[in-house]
Amino acid sequence: MRNITQSILPACLVASTMFIFTSCTTVNTVERAVPVGTKQVIADKRVITDDTLKRKVSIISLNEGMTPGGFLQVQIEVLNQKNSMQDFSYRFEWFDMNGMRVDTPTSVWIPRQIEGQETLSITAVAPTTTAKDFRVKFMENVRDD
Amino acid sequence: MKAKYYSLLLPVSVLLIFGGCATHTRYVETTGPRTIVTTDINIQDFSYAAEDMIKTLLASGALDKTQIQPAMLAISRIVNNTTQQVDTDLLIKKIRVALNQSGKALTTTTMGVGGIAEDPMAQGIQQEKEFYTDKKEPQRMPDFTLSGKIIEKRDRQDDVRQVTYAFQLSLTDNNGLAVWEDEKEISKQSKRGVIGW
Repeated sequence: MRNITQSILPACLVASTMFIFTSCTTVNTVERAVPVGTKQVIADKRVITDDTLKRKVSIISLNEGMTPGGFLQVQIEVLNQKNSMQDFSYRFEWFDMNGMRVDTPTSVWIPRQIEGQETLSITAVAPTTTAKDFRVKFMENVRDD
Repeated sequence: MKAKYYSLLLPVSVLLIFGGCATHTRYVETTGPRTIVTTDINIQDFSYAAEDMIKTLLASGALDKTQIQPAMLAISRIVNNTTQQVDTDLLIKKIRVALNQSGKALTTTTMGVGGIAEDPMAQGIQQEKEFYTDKKEPQRMPDFTLSGKIIEKRDRQDDVRQVTYAFQLSLTDNNGLAVWEDEKEISKQSKRGVIGW
């Protein structure tokens, strides 16, 4: 019995090490030390109800601009703090000056994948020039794989 | 006592059998995250492609360069080069609605590929109106035409199958120049099950 345990234990150790190292693939990045472009970073308000998702898709910054046609353009930078690839979905909602939601056929939950320790930029353009505010929702993948 | 149990056993087992086989159907939000994913082009794939393309089209400012605003758009040929029979309006209508709502472009329904109007009645009314008003000026021609293609590419490696759908759109001005072009690719992978595919 002791012999069996002694032979299984190292095998289990090797297998678990292999599993850990093969399932963790992270992203290395390089960029200009002093960026030329300046982000118009805006203050944000967050409502976190899923702490697991918060670690998978951590919001770093939120910046906005205007397109040549006068549409509000938003970019959100997110980071996957985990060491493995994660699935998530997001959806943009737009609001006019009166806080009324601007309905658009393109307001959909969009699935995305983010690699371990990867930084991802999510961009969106307002559907009308009357859309002045926005809200972004994040959610874990709820579909069965 | 035993007879009482036996009398209950039959209805309970019938309920279990038929209740277990019952189909559960529910509404899901078409644009939501709980729609079915298959290797075919799903309804949400059109939404993802439309969302992405509208975003780049509005950001490009291509529609702002016409003298008369909003720009006039005509829908040209949208080719379905996939193995599936899909109505390309599932993509184009979303783009048309979004452009209409944006106030940047209006789509004509009285002009179409091969002279076939999308709305023949509207075309008839337009022609009649022009005849009775003795219009001398030529009819306003579209500033842009929208054409495109949906392409399917299938790959396989061991028990993993991958299908990619490429949605391509071009906006051409009345000088024949493509002033905006975009491509959105959607890839899906599926693994062969233990039994069948």
